[in-house]
Amino acid sequence: MTEAVDISVDFAGIRLANPVSTASGTCGYADELGAFMDVNALGAFVTKSITLEPRKGNPTPRIVETDAGMLNAIGLANVGLERFVTEKLPTLAAMKPAVFVNVAGTTIDEYVTVTERLASEDAIAGFELNISCPNVKKGGISFGTDPVQVEEITRAVKQACGGKVLIVKLTPTVTDISATARAAIEGGAEALSLINTFTAMVIDIETRRPVLANRTGGLSGPAVKPIAVYLVNKVYNEVAKDAGVPLLGLGGIRTASDAIEFLLAGATAVAVGTASFVEPDCAGRIVNELEEYCRRTGTARLSDLIGALETPNT
Amino acid sequence: MCRTDAASDKGRFSATITANVKIGECFWRMDMRFEDAGGEAFARFRPGQFLQIDASDAALPALESIPPELRDAAQRKVLLRRPFSFAEVTPQNGATMAELLYCVVGPASLRMTTLRHGDTVDIVGPLGNGFWVPEGKRTALLVVGGMGVPPIRCLAKTLTADYGDLETYAFVGAKTVGAFPFEGKLDEVSEQLGFSVPAFARFGIPSVLTTDDGSAGAQGFVTEHLAQWLDDNADRPKEETIIYACGPEPMLAAVAKMAIERDIDCQVSMERRMACGIGLCQSCAIECRVPDSDETVYKLCCQDGPVFDARNVVWPS
Repeated sequence: MTEAVDISVDFAGIRLANPVSTASGTCGYADELGAFMDVNALGAFVTKSITLEPRKGNPTPRIVETDAGMLNAIGLANVGLERFVTEKLPTLAAMKPAVFVNVAGTTIDEYVTVTERLASEDAIAGFELNISCPNVKKGGISFGTDPVQVEEITRAVKQACGGKVLIVKLTPTVTDISATARAAIEGGAEALSLINTFTAMVIDIETRRPVLANRTGGLSGPAVKPIAVYLVNKVYNEVAKDAGVPLLGLGGIRTASDAIEFLLAGATAVAVGTASFVEPDCAGRIVNELEEYCRRTGTARLSDLIGALETPNT
Repeated sequence: MCRTDAASDKGRFSATITANVKIGECFWRMDMRFEDAGGEAFARFRPGQFLQIDASDAALPALESIPPELRDAAQRKVLLRRPFSFAEVTPQNGATMAELLYCVVGPASLRMTTLRHGDTVDIVGPLGNGFWVPEGKRTALLVVGGMGVPPIRCLAKTLTADYGDLETYAFVGAKTVGAFPFEGKLDEVSEQLGFSVPAFARFGIPSVLTTDDGSAGAQGFVTEHLAQWLDDNADRPKEETIIYACGPEPMLAAVAKMAIERDIDCQVSMERRMACGIGLCQSCAIECRVPDSDETVYKLCCQDGPVFDARNVVWPS
């Protein structure tokens, strides 16, 4: 008889069947994934960003591969709030994982309007505030790099959440990520997700131009993982642990051991992004592998690993 | 073969390679076999659909066999899958055989050349919407540029098998003789249209062959021959003709313009840089018209295409 293991986690008061989520913007609205994995096997699902009006997104090329990663500059292309509610939400409502809607905008009012409209939807467990998208001219990352603005927008959106959980997604493109983490918590965030992508550039040496039509894009994939693990650990130690705020860790995760690194660093849950592009069933595989890991190592509760990093020399 | 035939049974499958041979200066042919669920899914593969191959863990060829111009690119690691279309798909005793023609251009396709008979390859597909045949068509014109050959070859087979009444002609062009992904001699002179490209002749489809430099077939652009044919056959009812095109985007734009001006149906197979191929990453945007409006939207090459009605695409002016 195999030992029963518990891979569930408590994420800001929400019991997730396991700590694995999709990363915003990498799994659409769940309808595309069904052919490849059982979406209900996931602990949580974070949607692509929703803005008030539909957004076309940036011209192409929108992506370029790098060594162990990729740059994207999609530009928050999405169907807009109303079509999201009528066309996408019913699919999400029928799913088991806790659904977090990623909200983006160009003004604080826009973030608030979108959140208010969705706050009464039972299908939604909470919101992820996107103040860290590097690929739009207005809004996005410009809110996310200044702690004063982070606190202001978080407070405004929190009031519109109708009691649902608010996650603030942090950019790594700052000098001190703990300062923005603190500001988000001060503004009322119940959870933080990190990291969003790094602003980066690839140049075509033949044309001597940037490859991406947007010039720059966000770097994601295995290349960023060690930095993401470090930043999660930094925010956990300096801010989140004492504040009792759970972290959703992401950046380059593609195996269970990657996910466990994030848990040890202090993340309560993890999200799979770029790896889903290569292996559409990656997140589901990681759920299974986490369970196997617990069995193999005699870990009765996966949540015991959260923040269990040992640092003997410090 | 209607528009709603899009595969609902896409998935991630393993295929076994049965051959992987060099067929030209930079062209290779990889034959593979899908079994079980993969065999069933790919038996329903439609011409113009595509698949995504993971070549990231295939070995690089020995340095001395890598062309000098690719030695720098060869040092890149491969993360993402690469999209390809099949040139031929043949269901066979429960399994499905498929032929993939590829051009060696970078780190992933270089790695693909080292796969051997018996190796397996990880494939996501069948993906996207293929070509379709609207009601009432009597003439099909296949227009191909260079590496656009595979999906059109696949279409030629289906048209011959399932639409025997269609009169079909192929217009096949490339920059130079080495830029055709064909095996063997390709410019047998024939009475109809001037040439006979074996890849189309085997389906009884007469063809024109052109190269920009005159190194095979007639010198010039394939679009010039298409225009000539359309002018010579201007008395045919335009609603009974359809053009199918795959090739470099400037060629597609020229063909689309010609078709739209003459009010002839035209389907084009488009290409974009893509990460996932299944609608997740939103990278492969194609600017399309909104009917009865000046507005445009981005559609996804992977999900809404790769085959589009030429009238719906915004072409560079």
